[in-house]
Amino acid sequence: MGVVSNSVCLIVDDSRVIRQVAAKFLKGLGFQVAEAENGRAAVEFCRKSVPEFVLLDWNMPEMDGITCLRTIRAMDLEPRPSVVMCTTENGLAKIREALEAGADEFIMKPYDREVLLDKLVQIGLAERV
Amino acid sequence: MDDLLQEFLAETTESLAVLDVELVRFERETSDATILSNIFRLMHTIKGTCGFLGLPRLGAVAHAGENILGKFRDGELEVTPYAVTLILKAIDRIRALLAEMEATGSEPLGSDQELIGEIDALASGSETPARPAAPADLEMPSFGDEGFPVAAELLVEVAHALKHEPGALPDPAMPAQGAASVSAPVPPRESEAKESATASSSIRVNVDVIENLMTLISELVLTRNQLLQMQRGQKDNEFKVPLQRLSHITSDLQDGVTRMRMQPIGNAWNKLPRIVRDLAVETGKKIELTMQGAETELDRQVLEMIKDPLTHMVRNSADHGIEDGVRRLAAGKPETGTIALNAYHESGHIFIRIADDGRGLDADRIRQKAIGNGLATEAAIAAMSEQQILQFIFRAGFSTAEKVTSVSGRGVGMDVVRTNIERIGGTIELSSVAGRGTTFLIKIPLTLAIVSALIVEAAGQRFAIPQLNVIELVGVSDRSEARIETINTSPVLRLRDRLLPLVSLRGVLGLEMDGAKDRFVIVAQVGASTFGIIVDRVFDTEEIVVKPVAPILRGTRFYVGNTILGDGSVIMILDPNGLSNAAGQLDGSDQAGAQSKAVHDRNGDQASFLLFRAGGCELKAIPLELVSRIESFPSDAVEHVGGRQVVQYRDHLMPLVPFDANHRWKETGHQETLVFSDNGRCMGLAVDEVVDIVRDRMAIELSSGMPGLLGSAVIANKAVDVVDVGHFLTQAFADWFEISAMQATSRRALLVDDSPFFRNLVAPLLTSANWKVTTASDGVEALKLREDGQLFDVIISDIEMPNLDGLALASAIRRDTRWSQVPLIALSSHAEEGDVRAGRSAGFDEYLAKSDQTRLPENLTRALRLAITNRDGISDEQRWAS
Repeated sequence: MGVVSNSVCLIVDDSRVIRQVAAKFLKGLGFQVAEAENGRAAVEFCRKSVPEFVLLDWNMPEMDGITCLRTIRAMDLEPRPSVVMCTTENGLAKIREALEAGADEFIMKPYDREVLLDKLVQIGLAERV
Repeated sequence: MDDLLQEFLAETTESLAVLDVELVRFERETSDATILSNIFRLMHTIKGTCGFLGLPRLGAVAHAGENILGKFRDGELEVTPYAVTLILKAIDRIRALLAEMEATGSEPLGSDQELIGEIDALASGSETPARPAAPADLEMPSFGDEGFPVAAELLVEVAHALKHEPGALPDPAMPAQGAASVSAPVPPRESEAKESATASSSIRVNVDVIENLMTLISELVLTRNQLLQMQRGQKDNEFKVPLQRLSHITSDLQDGVTRMRMQPIGNAWNKLPRIVRDLAVETGKKIELTMQGAETELDRQVLEMIKDPLTHMVRNSADHGIEDGVRRLAAGKPETGTIALNAYHESGHIFIRIADDGRGLDADRIRQKAIGNGLATEAAIAAMSEQQILQFIFRAGFSTAEKVTSVSGRGVGMDVVRTNIERIGGTIELSSVAGRGTTFLIKIPLTLAIVSALIVEAAGQRFAIPQLNVIELVGVSDRSEARIETINTSPVLRLRDRLLPLVSLRGVLGLEMDGAKDRFVIVAQVGASTFGIIVDRVFDTEEIVVKPVAPILRGTRFYVGNTILGDGSVIMILDPNGLSNAAGQLDGSDQAGAQSKAVHDRNGDQASFLLFRAGGCELKAIPLELVSRIESFPSDAVEHVGGRQVVQYRDHLMPLVPFDANHRWKETGHQETLVFSDNGRCMGLAVDEVVDIVRDRMAIELSSGMPGLLGSAVIANKAVDVVDVGHFLTQAFADWFEISAMQATSRRALLVDDSPFFRNLVAPLLTSANWKVTTASDGVEALKLREDGQLFDVIISDIEMPNLDGLALASAIRRDTRWSQVPLIALSSHAEEGDVRAGRSAGFDEYLAKSDQTRLPENLTRALRLAITNRDGISDEQRWAS
């Protein structure tokens, strides 16, 4: 298995620990990793450079994930980044809300490397060898 | 994964600290959805992170807590103190688990089922069975405490849901659709920019790295000092310039790293709301804790040192200071008591104020206790002022609580608090008004790692004394005016109007006693007590790096650490605190106070005067206290601008005012000038000749009708004209410093005194401290100002005055609402204990003795600060709303 290009992935989560875990997975898959500690910082990041892939937490201070997602989608970034929403929120309504707001995939926390890779394969950012 | 666990511990500990604070806030403002959602999110994040790291025990506790919080949020559960207590318990459990993990590196075994059961019982007990069955609320069945939903399970559900909702599938139309629907919630830009700035402008560094860096810098400073010392003996050579540069860079580097170690004091305050909350619940009181200046930064080492004292004092305030609701209401105060914390930077120090509006310290009880505990004799106590009596709470073995409660009274008392604060070179001041509350003011240095120290020698050995504690150096010999005398076998130094208890460094350290005759006394101050240390020689001051004393030397009281000097030698750093105790054994500071008073009485109301000539051959006199420097400027340095004279002085243009309006400015030679300055503002008074400095009693015999002169007096057997400094200050400042702009920002003081001399002595002190001063010659005149609708920020009044004296004035002021909030300071020549008590009961906040001339500016500043902070701390929160 493996990746991909040398693409940039933005990890958005208010927990440093989770950012670190995710960064480790994604670096292992060959991504360049950038981090943001909340939605607002993520939006700010996207104004400067467009990531290929955003791993976006839901519950965050300042700006939550869903607002961040809507904002990013409204920015009409080129090329359009893939967004995977991740959260422990366990309602289907939440998942629908995320997909409607423009998420490409949805991942439950806690996830492991395999689950994350699955998602990336599904949205075409990685392929299994 | 070890690093990750470390990171997790750090992150979660931070979250818990915030949680504590926020929960206490939330309990008061249960309707505030923002606080609740913040609390929920923090708990949620902890739970989520536990899932990643495989910490089921921790995760289960967090989940239970989150569960209740969720029910709060959805309005399914009422916010009761019991429910909040349960969540706090969960937080405590998480904290305890974290502590174990930190020690062992893995999650401890064991069960939290009891706590979780209790929480779940609460959650289910009041759960409303009928939940709104909106289609959007297709929740997963609640899972027990075995963990979290497995992603795979949910995926099935997602797939299932999507099958029935094809429109929800992501398709090429999505982006446009999204754009259309989200244009509204795009947040404003400016706050985004602010956020991203904080997000990217800080990084986390391990404390060890910084500590290590600090040690290296310390070594660098030492090496730099060594080089400088080598260069000092040399002629100028090619090393001089690079060495200066190295020196500057080293200093900057030192500053930079010191700044890195800074942490907001809020870190030490975090747990206080929780402590106060628990205490309030336990004692059934209502207490509000307000915190200002939490962002004030100080060295983390200092922070560690003051954490416990602060906690102790806040606890004391909550436990002993604040009365229960019934008593408060009976005393006409709001039911909820307030403890106000305030921190701020000022002149290289941090000030921390802890003020409560409780019952205040009970001087009578302290008096009895002090006698009961054998801390002082009845006779000694009877001679003490109220302020001195209050100081007993700082003595070892003293506790004001009648019974030891579970809350305070844990063996640590205010003596430990004071010792801790003084150990880091800080001081603590106390003021208390019965029935109105108590205020502590702590002053501590910014950093401890590198301090400036005076290097001294005794019996051939060198020692360092922290410069912070050194007030002045006095050379003593049998021939000089300053002599070491002996009272009851204790050495004392007669220094100006005070007797200073002395401690001989050779004596206390058990060094060889025979040595040089010419010696030095280091006048040192620790807290409120001043004493002298006798040494043989005094060298330079040096920046030294404090290294802790080896454990084997811990038992000695006289050393705080050791250091390496620029020349490479290792010397001990003296602990002024320990030495002061040694001096105290010989001659307690209270006793010293009594003795210095005795000296006073013998000498009468003496003051130093500067005698000079200007505008005629009569001698002029000015209280030396008011003159900050005597300068001699070359005549060509005096610039004449638009009919006024200025001179360049310390990077500023200083206005020169001639004593005599017809003064002829010299073309050659030097211009003798008396410089008056404060708060960065200076003015120079041009005089013809400085004659002498003399000490004498002041007594104005004839008052003067001339502007600029107060009157005539006989000083040192000469007839002199006493100069009105205020007159010249206003001449210089009137247009030069745009007094109108100054008045807008300065506070207003009313000075009531029947003696023009005193008015003119005190007024410049106040003006120079940026007060706008109005004067009145007696109580009647002062009250007339009230009728005129004038307002003041402080009133300073004499006691003995014609027509209406100070006590009557104070009572009149306190009776009427217009000035009732204004801090009142008494300034009287009678400051016996009975006078002070009478003054306080008449309504004065502070009581100062006029007789202590030399310390008047200092005492006045202190009294102003205490009076204002007391009043401010109170009126800000409208606790005295009458």
